[in-house]
Amino acid sequence: MTKKRNYRPLRSADKLKKTMNRYYGLTTYHRYWGKIAKRPLAWVTSGAPVELLRAFKIHPAYPEQYAAIYSTNKATAQLCQVAEGEGYSQDLCSYARSNIGGVLRPDLAPLGGMPKPDLLVACNNICGTVLKWYEVIARHYDVPLLVLDTPYLTHEMTDHAKEYVLAQLKDMIIQLEKITGRPLDEKELAKQMEISSQTTSLWKKARQYCRELPSPLNAPDLFIHMAPIVVLRGTKAGLEYYKAFHEEVEERYKEKLGAVENERIRLVWDNIAIWPKVFSFNKMFTERGGCFVTDTYSGGWAIDLAPGSPLESLAATYTEVFLNRSPEFRYRQLVELIREYNADGFVMHSNRSCKPYSLVQEVIRRRVTEETGVPGLMIEADMADPRAYAEEPIRNRVQAFLETFDD
Amino acid sequence: MAKIFAGVDIGSLTVKVVLLNEDKEIIAYDSARGGYQGRDVATNLLEKLLAQHGLHKDDVQGTVATGYGRVNFPAEKDVSEISCQARGIHYLFPGARTIIDIGGQDSKVIQLLPNGRVGEFAMNDKCAAGTGRFLEVMASALEVNLQEIGDYAAKAENATEISSFCTVFAESEVITHVSAGKPKEEILAGVCYSVASRVATLAQRVGIMPDVVFTGGVACNEGVKKALAQEINQPLLTYEEPVITAALGAALYAVNL
Repeated sequence: MTKKRNYRPLRSADKLKKTMNRYYGLTTYHRYWGKIAKRPLAWVTSGAPVELLRAFKIHPAYPEQYAAIYSTNKATAQLCQVAEGEGYSQDLCSYARSNIGGVLRPDLAPLGGMPKPDLLVACNNICGTVLKWYEVIARHYDVPLLVLDTPYLTHEMTDHAKEYVLAQLKDMIIQLEKITGRPLDEKELAKQMEISSQTTSLWKKARQYCRELPSPLNAPDLFIHMAPIVVLRGTKAGLEYYKAFHEEVEERYKEKLGAVENERIRLVWDNIAIWPKVFSFNKMFTERGGCFVTDTYSGGWAIDLAPGSPLESLAATYTEVFLNRSPEFRYRQLVELIREYNADGFVMHSNRSCKPYSLVQEVIRRRVTEETGVPGLMIEADMADPRAYAEEPIRNRVQAFLETFDD
Repeated sequence: MAKIFAGVDIGSLTVKVVLLNEDKEIIAYDSARGGYQGRDVATNLLEKLLAQHGLHKDDVQGTVATGYGRVNFPAEKDVSEISCQARGIHYLFPGARTIIDIGGQDSKVIQLLPNGRVGEFAMNDKCAAGTGRFLEVMASALEVNLQEIGDYAAKAENATEISSFCTVFAESEVITHVSAGKPKEEILAGVCYSVASRVATLAQRVGIMPDVVFTGGVACNEGVKKALAQEINQPLLTYEEPVITAALGAALYAVNL
């Protein structure tokens, strides 16, 4: 007997695998080609201005993305324990803990852990944890750490904030010129930003087909197929991938093929995926006709580059990321998604690791329900550490929540 | 042939079974300690109840299971205990708008819409504070029966403050109070307030609207009931058998299968 599938797999998955494997291969074996090609390897945060780094021919690797891979490969608990054994608190972000665990014990890490960096670039637009986490890594490898400090936006972007970030970017250029031994190639930067912009636009357009009924994509599709937009933004490989992905999603949209069989309840997801349970968690929804038609997390990479000169654009784009914005902004964002995507409900993952994402969720949840009349469910878990996931209580909540949509 | 509908609630500590006739009248109910053998206990309890009332398995027209053991129990349908609790309480108390349920392993607060449907709900998360298990641990540390907690607490003039949320830490706090010679009554009154304040916080998250109904095994505990009514500043209604209301809701679902 074949197991009943409640969701439709994407054929782009093959191309995704090839694209990502090539990237991992290049990253893992960087030591063999990096020096010859004069292309240093940088560990960077997910919200770092990677277009600038690529203009300097830097090869970026993302500890957050590796941490997600560690988690889907069930290595996180053990790697976290290594870090905890060294004295890192269990309350520290599980991406940071598992990354540090992987640095200390690469033999326990999938893909053999991350290759040694030549420099580190941290931007605090996603959280404050990255600053101390990257300082630890900088001390461990004795490599330079470049920090981009983006002021938290309580309302809209201010001239002062923009000038402050712009000045830092200019300073970062001087440092990158020293580290790489190359001057900034402005044409190359403009080219990087153009590719980045085209890639983002394809990711965005593909997502927008999910406004239709039935939605051609579900949350696991978004979470899995977001990998290149994070790590290969600004590359031809990334652009080629999203051309194919967009084409497939468009095709599904035209043929009215839903990601979930018998889509019945349309939901919006808020917060990082629960990587150790990404499929089993989602199955609880698909088997009852629930589909996550969009999310705030992978949608964070579907934002157009801000206007202005390349540097001005980078300053604004990276300061205005949603995690660097007020609860008011986040509330409006969720209300808009619910309306645009015709959602019946929303699910918030109160993520033990990610404080900036999770801390204000309860306030947002209440206001969104008041404004839209659409119910929201709160799930307590962790993006990477399976020890913070309580199967039965979660099943209970999800079932009860979905039952409220029954007659 | 009689037409019977069964609701089976396999909770973390106890199993409850309710039988209804087609007019939704309660014919029989019972509860038993479940634990490891929850599903077998439920099957035996159901058979026992049927036999006691001269009924046969074939008389059962529909069964709905709820509680932690619901998934693999041979029933026509499994429904979460939140929906079942709402259904059962709305049937017993049509004016109820808030349910506070404290069971063995979890506590929950359910907001009911005027039509009896679930509006919103909140549950304790990955922590035994504010649950029946918390009371069990404290009863055992103080060497009293679970059922006696309320009586002891009622006799206390003052309540000792238990500040830890964590059950294990709270237990060592209780032991410290015992060594300090604090009377059992006062410590138990403190234990009741600790559970009540934890659950009251949960209730505030959902919003408390009268009538408020208190269910679950802990609703039998007068000490917690009194402390909770004070904490939320609302009188609490209870059904004479507060442990069976979710099973009753399940049986009501079975009637409408």
